[in-house]
Parts: sequence; C-alpha cells; structure tokens
Amino acid sequence: MNVVYNILAYLVWFLATYWVVLLLLIVVSGKEKLFEKKKFTYKNYPRVSVAVPAFNEEKKISFTIKSLKRIKYKNMEFIIINDGSSDKTSQVVTKTIAGDSRFVFIDRKENKGKAASLNEAISIATGKFVATMDADSVVEPNIFMKVLPHFENKKTAAVTVSVAVKNPKTFLHKIFDLEYIVGLSLFLKLFSLVDAVFVTPGPFSIYRTSAIKEIGGFDENNITEDLEIAYRLQKARYKIDNCLDAKVYTIIPPKFKDLCIQRKRWYSGAIQTLMKHNKMIGRKKYGTFGYFVLFNYSLIFLGMILFIGSLYLGATNIFNNLIYISQTNFNFLEQLKYLQFDILATGQISLLGFIALGTTMLTAVVGLVLTKTKISEKKLGLLGYPLLFFLYQFFWILSVVAVIRGKKIKWR
Amino acid sequence: MEIKKSIFVMEFLITIILLLSIILIGSVLNKGRKNFIDEQMQSVNDISDMQVYLLMSDTYGDKIACLSLKSKLKDWDKSLWDLGNKLEQYRIASEEFSKDEYYLEQKKQFNEKQQLYLIFLTKIKSDCNLNKTIITFFFQNSKDCNKCDDQSYILTDIKRKAGDDVAIFSFDADLNITNINLLMEYYGVNEFPCIIINEKKYCGIQDRNFIVEKICKDTPVPELCN
Repeated sequence: MNVVYNILAYLVWFLATYWVVLLLLIVVSGKEKLFEKKKFTYKNYPRVSVAVPAFNEEKKISFTIKSLKRIKYKNMEFIIINDGSSDKTSQVVTKTIAGDSRFVFIDRKENKGKAASLNEAISIATGKFVATMDADSVVEPNIFMKVLPHFENKKTAAVTVSVAVKNPKTFLHKIFDLEYIVGLSLFLKLFSLVDAVFVTPGPFSIYRTSAIKEIGGFDENNITEDLEIAYRLQKARYKIDNCLDAKVYTIIPPKFKDLCIQRKRWYSGAIQTLMKHNKMIGRKKYGTFGYFVLFNYSLIFLGMILFIGSLYLGATNIFNNLIYISQTNFNFLEQLKYLQFDILATGQISLLGFIALGTTMLTAVVGLVLTKTKISEKKLGLLGYPLLFFLYQFFWILSVVAVIRGKKIKWR
Repeated sequence: MEIKKSIFVMEFLITIILLLSIILIGSVLNKGRKNFIDEQMQSVNDISDMQVYLLMSDTYGDKIACLSLKSKLKDWDKSLWDLGNKLEQYRIASEEFSKDEYYLEQKKQFNEKQQLYLIFLTKIKSDCNLNKTIITFFFQNSKDCNKCDDQSYILTDIKRKAGDDVAIFSFDADLNITNINLLMEYYGVNEFPCIIINEKKYCGIQDRNFIVEKICKDTPVPELCN
C-alpha cells in the first residue's frame, strides 16, 4: 500500500508541478499580452444586451439591478427573466426597474432552469453582444468599455472577466475568494492566451450574439451551462478571450452545506460535459484546449485517488494512535510534550509536499499581483489557501459519487 | 497564441530540475541520517568502557567503581534509548520504496549493543546495589504480533516519565540474532509481546497500570508511583 501510495504521490506531484510551471511560463512569455489594455475604438457604440435569469433572488437582485443601472455605456438593454420564483423576486424586480426603459422583464411563472431562461433572453436580445449575469452579482460601471475591445478579433466569441467574492467575511469565504482570483481570473487569463478557456463563468461573461446563436445557445439539459457552452465554442474553433482588468463580484453560499451543493453541481456538470464532449479530449484538432482538458482532468482524477489514499492512511494512523493513547489514559497533552522537529526525519514524500505547498502559494501570489489585488488584504485567505486542496478533493469525491450513483442533480 | 515547443521543453526541464533537487536534498538528508546513526552507534555503550569499569571493580573494589559508574550509566541509558528511537524514525523516513539493508544491519548492531548493556547492567545492579528496574521487551513485526506496537507505546510512555530509573531493552525477535534467540530461550519466551520485569516474565500485552505497579514495587520512581 505504502509503495503504491508513494509512487502515486510522485506522479501527482510531477503532473501538478508541470502544470504550475507551464502556467508560470505562460505568464512570463505572454506578459505583454497579460497587461495589455485594449482601447475602445468602436465609432458607434455597439448594442449590448444583458441577460439576468433569476430564481428566488428577492434578497440580492436589487443590488444586481442597481449595479446594472450604474454601468456607463450608451447603447444597452437589460433582460431580466424571473424563472418561476416562489418568493418576491417578481415584485422586487418590478419595483427596482420601474421607469427605466432599458429594462425588459420576462416574468415567467414556470421554472425552466437557467439555461432555458438565458436562451429565452437571447432569442429576444437586440444587441450585437449579449452578456449573461447571475442575479447575485455586481459589476463595475465601466465593464463594457473594458470588455468590448476584446471583440475586435472577429474570431472572438466570448470574453470572460475577473471574478471575485463580494464581501468575503468568514475564513472559508476568504479562501474561496482567493480561489476565484486564481482559478477564475488568473487561470482563465492564461488559458485565453493559449486558446484553452474551458468555462465562461456565470457571474458575468459576454458573448457575440451571432456566435452563440450559431452554436444553438445554451444546453438546457446541462447543469453547468457556462462550462458546456465554452466547450462548444472551442469546438466551433471560436476564441474565448479574458479581460483581467474588468471585474465582477459574486456571492458564494454562506453555509458550508450550500457550498457543498453548489460545488457538487459544478463538478458533476463538469463530468457531464466531459462525457458529452469526450471526443474533444486530447485531440490535436482542438489544439491546446484538447490537451489541457486531458491534462487537467487526469490530474484531478489522480489527485482524488491520492487524496483517498491519504485519507485511508491518515485515518489508520489516527485510529492506531488513539488505541495507543487509550493505553495511557488518553493523556494527549502529555504526548504533545514529546513532539519535536528533526529535519533529518523528513522523508522525500514530505519534501514533495513542501515544494507543492510552495508552488501553490506562489500561484496564489501571482494571481493576486496580476489582478492588482493587495496581498495584505488577502492574507487570511492566503493562510488558509492550502486547505483548498482538501476541500477541492472532498467536493470532487462528492460529485463523482453522485454521478456514479446516477443521482440527478438539479440546477438549484 | 500557440504554446511554443520551447516552452514545453523548458517547463519539462524546470520540473525535472525541481524533482532532481528534491531527490538530491533527500539523499543529503539520507546521508545525514546514516552519519548520525553511525556516530551514535560508535559512541553508545562502548565495550572498552565497560571493561574498564569491570577491571576497576576487580582491582579497587565495588565501592569506587560503582561511584564512577553511576554518572556514566545515566549517559549510556539515555543515548541508547535515543538511538533506538532515532533508528526507527530514520528508517521510516528513508525506506519509502524498499527496505534499506543499512537499517537492517544497524538494527542488528543496536540489538547486540542493547544485549551487551543489559548483561552489564544486570551485573552491576547487584554489585553496586542499583535501585533501577530493568525491563526486557521481546517483540515481532506488527503483522505477526498485532499487540506489539501497543506494548511498545506503553513502554515508551513509561520510559519518558521514569527517565533513567527504568531501563528498557527492546529486542526484535524477527532479526533472528543468535544471542537474542538464546536470551529468549533462557527466559522461555514463545509468544509476543513478552516483557521481563526484574527477571520475571509476563507474556501477552500488559497494561500500563500493571507495569507501573511492578516497577513501583522495586523502584519508587516519583513521576510514576506518586
């Protein structure tokens, strides 16, 4: 068991380090493009439609609408879709948008799901570009002035922005805030440089309307429509760009249980999407994207097995120690007295762990620097960032189990 | 932007360099461990020292020999105990993939040194009237003896508290050392774990209270008996 575990640890370490080094090299080799600010050169302001599907968002949607109202752009419309909410979302929306002709409100009694709501909004959108936005997110006022120049390239079908957590208060939220900065901001920027973006995040992404219509809109049977559409855009050989400079702030579930449900949906959706588009995996035809998907999911899969192995070994160790300590009347404090650090007792597997910890922290710091976030403001998140590895694996196991059991996971 | 082939080559090289650095640091640590064990093995329980004390006893009588022995015994006891712990700790750190013959050899040497010290201690205990409890512990690997680790843990805990008032000698029966086999035969050890407390045999796992009771009967160790 130990030999197999050790071999796996080396393999996962090698793949993970290879991955991080690749990303850091992309940062170095593409640093001009990374910080490149594109100028808004459109003579006429192209029309932008913003689709905001909402389901039971009575507490948050007014902030989202107010944030939309603050956007400084001349030619836009906002389409709010109430997806059969059972709370007062409808009344809140009606009251908040009153008197503003830029808003279109579709007040549907039936709940059809997020993807269906987005497709409905796209079908009536009059904009050359259509942005999708979650009803619990807020954007900065000049977001369109920053993202639209990225569409100058005719092959660009979508642009993603930096995603951050709105007012992270708890320790856990601060960790996830950093995860968003690294995973949904830094990584998506780097992936965009090599045409390998695998998700257009739900909190805010903007699409070329013609492209999204051409590929048939969002998949209404997929629980992670923002992930699935990115695969199809890549399949159609469109480009998905990222604007690191533009930000959207979103809310993450306050309770751990809700967070588990959200992540289970995300990762089960990822598996669902992967199975649907399995022919894209590792195929030369899809360029870097195909290889990145293969590499990323191989790493996730092996990491998960390593995590399960670590759990088993850890639990066995704890169990044995409990038995030992029971022999001495559970005197934990007494045992702690004898703990001492000896560098010579450090095995090679522990060294791998230290290096992995170092590269993880380095990636987080690079993410903060590139998104111009003050490190001092995120120090608590940085401190807890290594814990993300355990949480991440835990969520993945939950999702894999759900998929294997054939449990139907709903969007909400 | 397509990723240039040179980037893939460079990242592969960087990852390999990192891996090699880890392997290098690992081998430096491994060497450090072996040097430490070698040094300790040399310094612990030197046979010539013991001979000097035995000769002193014969020439000048027990009194003067026992006086000079008392301080030396404390050092021997501690270094032997520490060495035993380090040997096991370093073996675990080194043997990630396969058994290292070095540790097997060192374990044999360590067991022999322990036996030497046990004989010496048993002799001078009566000669010098030492108020010290001697525990001899015979064990097997955890696959064949599932209670041996538990017994080892209890004895470690007792030793930590009792310090040099209690001398514990652990003998690995799996090493198949002739002298240890003879010792087991002498005590009639045929099941594991088995402990000998002041020459009395107790086989099967013995709980902490039982061992403490036996120790306190002969040696009133304040940290254990009060």
